[in-house]
Amino acid sequence: MQSEMFEDTIVAVATPPGRGGIAIVRLSGRNALDIALACVPAGSRLGETPNRAVITDLVNPDLAGEILDRAVVTWFRAPKSYTGEDIVEFSVHGAPVVVDAALGVLLSLGARPATPGEFTLRAFLNGRIDLTQAEAVRDLVNAQTGHQARLAQRQLRGELSHRLQPLKERLLSLIVQLESTVEFVEDDLETESRAALVKELVSAAADLDALTASYRLGRLVADGFGVALVGRPNAGKSSLFNRLVRTERAIVTAMPGTTRDLVSEPVELEGIPVRLVDTAGLREAENEVEQIGVGRTRTAIVDADVVLVVIDGSLDSSDTVRALLDETRHATRVVALNKSDLGDPDPSLVEAIEDSGVSPVSVSALSGEGVDEVRQAVVRAIGGSADLAPSGVLVTNARHHELLTRASKGMTAASVALSAGYSEEIALVGLHESLQSLGELTGETVIEDILGRIFATFCVGK
Amino acid sequence: MIGAGHAGCEAAHASARLGAKTALVTINLDLVGQMSCNPAIGGVAKGHMVREIDALGGVMGIVADRTGIQFRLLNRSRGPAVQSPRCQSDRAQYRVEMRSILEKTPGLSLQQAEVVELLIENGRVSGVELVDSRRLSARALVLTTGTFLNGLVHIGDHTFAAGRSGEMPAIRLAESVRRIGFRMGRLKTGTPPRLDARTIDFSQMERQYGDDPPVPFSFLTKRIEQPQIWCHIAYTNQQVHDSIRGNLDRSPLYSGKIEGTGPRYCPSIEDKVVKFPQKERHQLFLEPEGYDTYETYINGLSTSLPVDAQQAMLERIPGLEQVKMLRPGYAIEYDFVDPTELRANLETKRVAGLFHAGQINGTSGYEEAAGQGLVAGVNAAMHALGRESWVFTRDQGYVGVMIDDLVSRGAEEPYRMFTSRSEARLTLRMDTADRRLTETGRRLGLVQEDRFQAFRSRSAKVAAIVQAIEGVRVSVGSAVADRLADAGIGITGTTQVSALLKRPEFHVEHLRFVLPANAVEGVTDEELGVVLNDEKYAGYVSSQVEASKRAHAARKRVIPGDFDFASVSGLSAEQIEKLTLRRPETLSQAEAVSGMTPAAVNLLAVYLELGARRAARG
Repeated sequence: MQSEMFEDTIVAVATPPGRGGIAIVRLSGRNALDIALACVPAGSRLGETPNRAVITDLVNPDLAGEILDRAVVTWFRAPKSYTGEDIVEFSVHGAPVVVDAALGVLLSLGARPATPGEFTLRAFLNGRIDLTQAEAVRDLVNAQTGHQARLAQRQLRGELSHRLQPLKERLLSLIVQLESTVEFVEDDLETESRAALVKELVSAAADLDALTASYRLGRLVADGFGVALVGRPNAGKSSLFNRLVRTERAIVTAMPGTTRDLVSEPVELEGIPVRLVDTAGLREAENEVEQIGVGRTRTAIVDADVVLVVIDGSLDSSDTVRALLDETRHATRVVALNKSDLGDPDPSLVEAIEDSGVSPVSVSALSGEGVDEVRQAVVRAIGGSADLAPSGVLVTNARHHELLTRASKGMTAASVALSAGYSEEIALVGLHESLQSLGELTGETVIEDILGRIFATFCVGK
Repeated sequence: MIGAGHAGCEAAHASARLGAKTALVTINLDLVGQMSCNPAIGGVAKGHMVREIDALGGVMGIVADRTGIQFRLLNRSRGPAVQSPRCQSDRAQYRVEMRSILEKTPGLSLQQAEVVELLIENGRVSGVELVDSRRLSARALVLTTGTFLNGLVHIGDHTFAAGRSGEMPAIRLAESVRRIGFRMGRLKTGTPPRLDARTIDFSQMERQYGDDPPVPFSFLTKRIEQPQIWCHIAYTNQQVHDSIRGNLDRSPLYSGKIEGTGPRYCPSIEDKVVKFPQKERHQLFLEPEGYDTYETYINGLSTSLPVDAQQAMLERIPGLEQVKMLRPGYAIEYDFVDPTELRANLETKRVAGLFHAGQINGTSGYEEAAGQGLVAGVNAAMHALGRESWVFTRDQGYVGVMIDDLVSRGAEEPYRMFTSRSEARLTLRMDTADRRLTETGRRLGLVQEDRFQAFRSRSAKVAAIVQAIEGVRVSVGSAVADRLADAGIGITGTTQVSALLKRPEFHVEHLRFVLPANAVEGVTDEELGVVLNDEKYAGYVSSQVEASKRAHAARKRVIPGDFDFASVSGLSAEQIEKLTLRRPETLSQAEAVSGMTPAAVNLLAVYLELGARRAARG
């Protein structure tokens, strides 16, 4: 029997955050099994027998069944589960990118991020755990409050809410315009034209999207971005690394192939935490040790959020550059043309770089000239299209990301409806959904507030 | 039933229909169903509520249909969820018709008397005392005092106690209500002057016609037969505004004499001029009061200025240079009882068997009053008959939205219904009120056989059309496609009719093109509209319904009446105080109490569960 108490299905990572070997993602609620079945291939044995672990692929149904991971999935049938509801537990590989992807898929299938302590609360309210001592229960809830308060301090009272406030104001003005025309049809109100409303809506949605796009960024901020310096031996990677780190951390010699192991250092670039990784030079390895180093470099390229390709502007040939750029073609790249102190590079080199669609940044690791530009280029590459100006805000929390995405979807739906000639009340469905989502981040706006704005904006009253 | 306004009439009718022996007591039997202000019924959201009242077997819709002199369907150019009927009424005929229906209702007696005291024994209603010391005994009372409770009229600096201008106020009754210990407040409303049509130059105004054919309120009305009139639109100008500004110091609104809160959506002309100084003109509607009178209502010009200032302002309006005022406009202040004193069935928490409806609950509007009256009347009868009380829920209609808003959030200013107050506006269409409510009305005993049969027949026709549409396709080059193309509905290839319905430009008449003649024969446009409207909103409704369902599930959790909020350790002293004062009946009402945090609501949920388990263990 399913508990009737809760309508929605919640999800959270049940293991401590960080790089563990295995992470458990737990899903609880009346739709838990349906959601789980939607992200495993047809024919998996999931759902046949409760409490039995099934090994299966975990796929993203949105992306034509892209395989996310090989996971161990267990279904616990209500009411014989921890929470008293249907629970599905996914044991996935602990890499944050895998865990994030799994969470993302479950959220997109209709699960909601659990609030702190919510599984326990459900377990209690569904009668699965017996907490007769009221004090203990209060502590449980208070622990939640403490956590929520800390979160609120860090994120809600902080930049995100601040940044969302003007967007919410714009959204409210739009709602006020549309609601007024619907509610006060007999009053001769001077409301904005539909075209003007659509224009404003599209612009507000774009601003919201920019913020939402910073999610990946924000997520990575928590762990620090991986930036790998990659290049031919002796191209000056370690010198540039030291310039960026501002210490003599890596061993720098004039001997090619000095950095055989990965050297990494946490730094802050323009206020963004970054794990800077120095790698072994990429060339045909001459010995086994170096071969291991090169293998690790290739791994580093795959793991990195941004690859800083360092090219020796005085020595590298356009062929080696092309090979290097081909090696890193799947990565987000910044190309540094080092050793500018030795004169201008060969135009064919620049051409080879620009052919790959990247403009090189000229730098001298020796003199320090151009290092600031490299730093900025790396930061830009990290941010993608996101606004990373000092006032920029990073969305770091899955729940926040989900709410922003929902808010943006609502706005987009509304602008589509308005431009296609649908009536106001249809556009308003999206706008109210959007407002509600933003409200969860910045504080609720009740209908009285909207009505109050209408009365302040328009002289109504037939 | 104390009071025979729109709440009292609906309450008395409903109570008697349910089989309770019912008396309707009013200060003046000639003014049953009096429209105190605008002679009009309906409007956006208000018209929806009239339909809901009608679908449940109430009387307002039928009376409005029989006495309406100009009907207009509002928001015709917008979607079906925000379209709503409105009519101008013949004020006198409305009263006559209402009284006639009530007189013919079995089990209902009308009595003229002034109630001065509510009789209460051991926390339960036992009856009322009249001004001549007679006593009437009753197991349940519905109090619908309108603006009469301590009513105080303002015209300029002239003030006098009155229920409405020219009518006795209820002063002793107000004392009696106050003694119960309710939290009470003062509200204010206003009304414009009435003019003699023979002194108005209508040639300087725009004519406003009604709809032809008129769209009725009641599901039982086939067509509106009585002749229809037109209204006129006039405008104020800078001279009018200057005249008002010159007299502001004599307005009780601005001298501080009026303490009560007035509605922001229905401001006086003084307020409009002061708050929107940049607006060059304000729109006015001149509405005839009926067939048999020259009296004309000037909508949009509510005022409490002194009479000479009213005259001066009127004379500056184009077309009113020679106008003769029949009655001046005025403001009225009156007592109301905080509606959070009520349960969802509109019974007071303090006195068993005492129900409140209408303006006493802080609402404004005839339709708002009538909706509450029906719910209070049903529940008063249930109480008297020992049956289980009935709650009109938010997802059933606007009346439910209103009651839930009132009892959980209270009223800061006179509460008026707007479609945006519902979180599921798309599902509360005027054409689905019967689908939402008529079966409930039947179960309650309000809906009689003729209405129920009409409902079943309509439902069957709608179902048949839904079936007829299924699988029908239109292909390019066919005669049907050509006709649609002529109507501006282009098709490529072959298209399912069900997909076509969603297009904004697809209307009811087009449905007649695409369906076989025998399928639509005998089916009215309104019935076809139900199918079309369902389809148009289908995609949007699902998300709204989901949200509404979630809200409903959360609202289910009931807080026992004797629950001790102070026993919840972890709530702040302020939260305990507010909860104890408000006495929320459900978790969602508790959530709406100001100062409640999500954590506090969780805590409360935990303690409620603990209490329930203890109770289960005995």
